[in-house]
Amino acid sequence: MNDASIAVTGLGLVTAAGIGAEASWAGVCSGVSTAAHAPALAGLPVDIACTVPDFSANKLVGRRSSLSHDRFVQLAIVAAREAVADAGLDPDTWDGARVGVVVGCGLGGVSTWEQQHRKLMETGATSVSALLIPMLVPNMVAGHLAMDLKATGPNFVTATACASGATAIGTALSLLRDDVCDVVITGGAEAGVSPLIVTGFAQMGALSRRLDDPGAASRPFDVDRDGFVVGEGSGILVLEREADARARGAKVRAKVAGYGASADAFHMTQPDPEGRGVKQATRMAMTAAGVGPDDVDHVNAHGTSTPLNDQTEAAVLRDLLGHRAAVTSTKGVVGHTLGAAGAIEAALTVLTIENSTVPPTANLANQDPKVELDIVTGAPRAQRTEVALSNSFGFGGQNAVLVFTSA
Amino acid sequence: MTSPMYDTLVDLLVTRFEVDRAEISPEVTFEDLDMDSLFLVELLVVIQTETGVEISEDTASPRDTIGHAAEAIAAQVLEATAAKSS
Repeated sequence: MNDASIAVTGLGLVTAAGIGAEASWAGVCSGVSTAAHAPALAGLPVDIACTVPDFSANKLVGRRSSLSHDRFVQLAIVAAREAVADAGLDPDTWDGARVGVVVGCGLGGVSTWEQQHRKLMETGATSVSALLIPMLVPNMVAGHLAMDLKATGPNFVTATACASGATAIGTALSLLRDDVCDVVITGGAEAGVSPLIVTGFAQMGALSRRLDDPGAASRPFDVDRDGFVVGEGSGILVLEREADARARGAKVRAKVAGYGASADAFHMTQPDPEGRGVKQATRMAMTAAGVGPDDVDHVNAHGTSTPLNDQTEAAVLRDLLGHRAAVTSTKGVVGHTLGAAGAIEAALTVLTIENSTVPPTANLANQDPKVELDIVTGAPRAQRTEVALSNSFGFGGQNAVLVFTSA
Repeated sequence: MTSPMYDTLVDLLVTRFEVDRAEISPEVTFEDLDMDSLFLVELLVVIQTETGVEISEDTASPRDTIGHAAEAIAAQVLEATAAKSS
């Protein structure tokens, strides 16, 4: 069963570009960045972010959600319900014991943590919420999806920083191929637009300082890029063995054909300048998918808009794939959603394949001459895409590469 | 027949726990309002902060009515105030 073909039968998205896959896809294809000044960050050295607009948790998730779920869980619940409905599956009738949940998350409930820490300091221990711990632990996102979807199979969170969502999807493949599950709800969720987290990234020098023009701040592969913009959101995929999916008459949206993972073992936060770990993961994923360099039509790059990442990633892609693949970074529009990024980009890669359309990289006015790749910019490009890579790299040197193929 | 503590409790449920005022009556249980034991602990934390009186964790359970809980909390507040003034 180890080489069973794995189908994507449903997907859900909540991003700064919109709530729902349709709104998110339209926003990403518009090529217009969602970065803006964020009220939660007012007065801080970096006060811009890509936040999900008009997200009413009590309306979208349910009664008292704002009291019992941190935002990263709320975003995931909305994305997961969309994905399951899209797959034509019904939690009231499925065999929940055969449904697994694997979700990537880099941070957990950081906003709750910060609010409650403030209470502890300002008004004392007795004012700290009894719901603090269940709201902040990162694994709670998988726990809540289990409760919401009556999914009692294996249930856990993967944490590989900004690769977490891709690691989750890659890990989900094993649960299906080993016949532990028939369905896996997988993806990522993150809500890191909090004063402490954004300031922490700012102190590292990782964030764009283009505060006078937030819409132009996230500009992957542009020569004037100066860092990323923190985003938030969730992307969830429903995966099944292709044979099962076809047997039940489900729509196969795309296939997850390969997964590669590696560690740089080089530096806490800097990518290995030689890109050895990234190359290793990419080769592993392509070998698993049985595809060669000339087969790859498209890459949804990690493309964070930091000087170092984009240059190193571009060099690796150039080295491994040449100039043929149409490359894009959707972080120009939705920002860097950290632990959710790999999953959101995986879902967008599926949509790219399905729609034969590669979304543009926002704000790419002057391509960095060191980036010798065919980067899609300006407008979406109509292009048949049969094989696509989705790259995700995390602080800690953790790399995850997924290969998607058309149905 | 309602008490000042009952009115306080209702206000807290509405303002801090997003309960619809129309759903609340002295005979309604916390369970009826989808409030489990964790929410109840949280409610007691809030009351403690508001009144400055330590309320024991077993003062109310999800199956108790709002009216009963209000009485039990009021009794503890009264006891604490009496202890302070004696």
